[in-house]
Amino acid sequence: MTHPPSASAGQGGSPTRFAPPTQRDVESDYVPTVDPPATAGRVAATFEALRYACLSALADLTVIYTWKTWTFGWLARVLCQVAFFALIGRLLQNPATTDYLLIGSAVVIVTMEAAFVTASSTWERGAGTLPLLVASPTGPFVVFVGRSVQWLISGTASANIALFVLAPIFGVPLAFPTALAAVPLIVLVALSSYCFALLLAAFVLRVPTFRNIVGNITWWTIGLLGGVQVPVTFWPGWVGAIGEVLPLRHGLAGVRVAIAGGPAATILRDAGLEIAVGAGWLVVAALAFRRLAEGGRRTGSIEFGE
Amino acid sequence: MKPRGMTSMDLRGGRTLRLPWPRHTGFVAGARLQLAIFRRGWDSLLALVTVPLFTIAFLAITRHAGRTDLTAYAVLAPAVVAVIGMAILTSGEVVTQDRSNGSLELALAAPSRFPIVVVGRVLVVTLVSLVAVVEAWLVAWIVFGVRVPVPHRTAFAGALAVATLATVGTALLMSSVFVAARSARTFQNTISYPLYLLGGAFVPVPLLPGFLHPLCRAVYLSWATDLLRDCLATKPVPDFWPRLGAVAALGAVGFAAGYAILIRVVDRARATGRVGHE
Repeated sequence: MTHPPSASAGQGGSPTRFAPPTQRDVESDYVPTVDPPATAGRVAATFEALRYACLSALADLTVIYTWKTWTFGWLARVLCQVAFFALIGRLLQNPATTDYLLIGSAVVIVTMEAAFVTASSTWERGAGTLPLLVASPTGPFVVFVGRSVQWLISGTASANIALFVLAPIFGVPLAFPTALAAVPLIVLVALSSYCFALLLAAFVLRVPTFRNIVGNITWWTIGLLGGVQVPVTFWPGWVGAIGEVLPLRHGLAGVRVAIAGGPAATILRDAGLEIAVGAGWLVVAALAFRRLAEGGRRTGSIEFGE
Repeated sequence: MKPRGMTSMDLRGGRTLRLPWPRHTGFVAGARLQLAIFRRGWDSLLALVTVPLFTIAFLAITRHAGRTDLTAYAVLAPAVVAVIGMAILTSGEVVTQDRSNGSLELALAAPSRFPIVVVGRVLVVTLVSLVAVVEAWLVAWIVFGVRVPVPHRTAFAGALAVATLATVGTALLMSSVFVAARSARTFQNTISYPLYLLGGAFVPVPLLPGFLHPLCRAVYLSWATDLLRDCLATKPVPDFWPRLGAVAALGAVGFAAGYAILIRVVDRARATGRVGHE
């Protein structure tokens, strides 16, 4: 899985806004003093940067896909991918395995697309905008949080469609209306996977040539340890313990319970755990980006372009 | 690269020094270029990097279901996926990359026929992708302690060799179609799993829905995977030669189509003067 180059980077992303010097600044020996901006102003500036980053991501999405290429290209591939794994259950002559593989393979799509963050984050480096982002007062992490949300939109849509279209075709029973809880759970998996992928993006920005390799290894590993292909109990205990703190695992468990019409308390518990995992990785990702920016400023190692 | 028909004497004005013919061909130049690209970075080897993960996943599924009799299927499938994956991801980008880095103009202006250069490159990519076969067998042994025997070694080697040549044809077709369509990444990301599915990479074609069977049989991969799986079984391989012939014939069709499309793309680019990105 590789990724197209950025559509919007360097072509009109977030405009940099600053106040021009006044006549008084220029003509007199006036020395401007820099007052620390008020907290409310900082928050507003942060949200504005986040909004522009999201707009940049949406611009990328509209250039990468048209509705036709997304539907007949990308979505068709996703459906084939999920069917490929579900058919293994047919080879094994085990309907329960078919159900298990179909649900797992559909939900992991959202993690797969979230892992594209590793690629789209490096587009900023390729476009030469990374040093500018590091130098900006808002901080690069805010921009990178919003800069790849296109994958959340595409991933959530394709995973949900794959699940609810292919499940009836393969005879997977969906216990409505409880099964509809899978939709918000998939959104939570998307968000937690996105937060984890942001952490990886901070590392990949140092070695952009590894962006696709890191992204692919990441989503495959999360899937293996998250119970996509086999239950987590299949693996040795220490391997399963790693999966506990990775995204997908709790959300996917909740989706399985929801589709089977299980208790709401269990679904809510799994949703809460998925949120906690995502929040934890978001904090770690923020620290990783801070380290990237500070290290880059100190050593001058952030380059213009790859 | 010297113009066709020119000897070393023409260039140096001295005694004719004829080098062995392969050094003069674009084919060898393309092969050497591709090897240099592989040495430069890991990104073009992405399909090989994911082989261990595919192998672990497939073996975990079969072993969890208690179907150790399908171990050979689970080990062969990642190798097939990687070979096709590299044909799509790496070979498919050969011409597109030349176009995006600005070297396509020079390659087209060179005296060697450009499609020959591309054939040299995709052959190297396909041969390198065979590392996946060894990789999958090793991962099965190291991670799960599983050794997959090859009872019909000669037949397996022959089928693998013909399948490799057929993949070269498909890879050439990919690179031609991708450059003609101009949206290589969208095609690349789209075509992989449909091919794995129709090619019976893991699940044999008879287990797919009936309406897909005619389509599957038009894909050389479905014949190749069936044949390779049979070579891993202890019982005799039925209809070996006709099935090997089907792989070769479909591969040849792919090669001819790819070569023709590439020539057409090149001729069109020369005629319109729009060699680079429009």
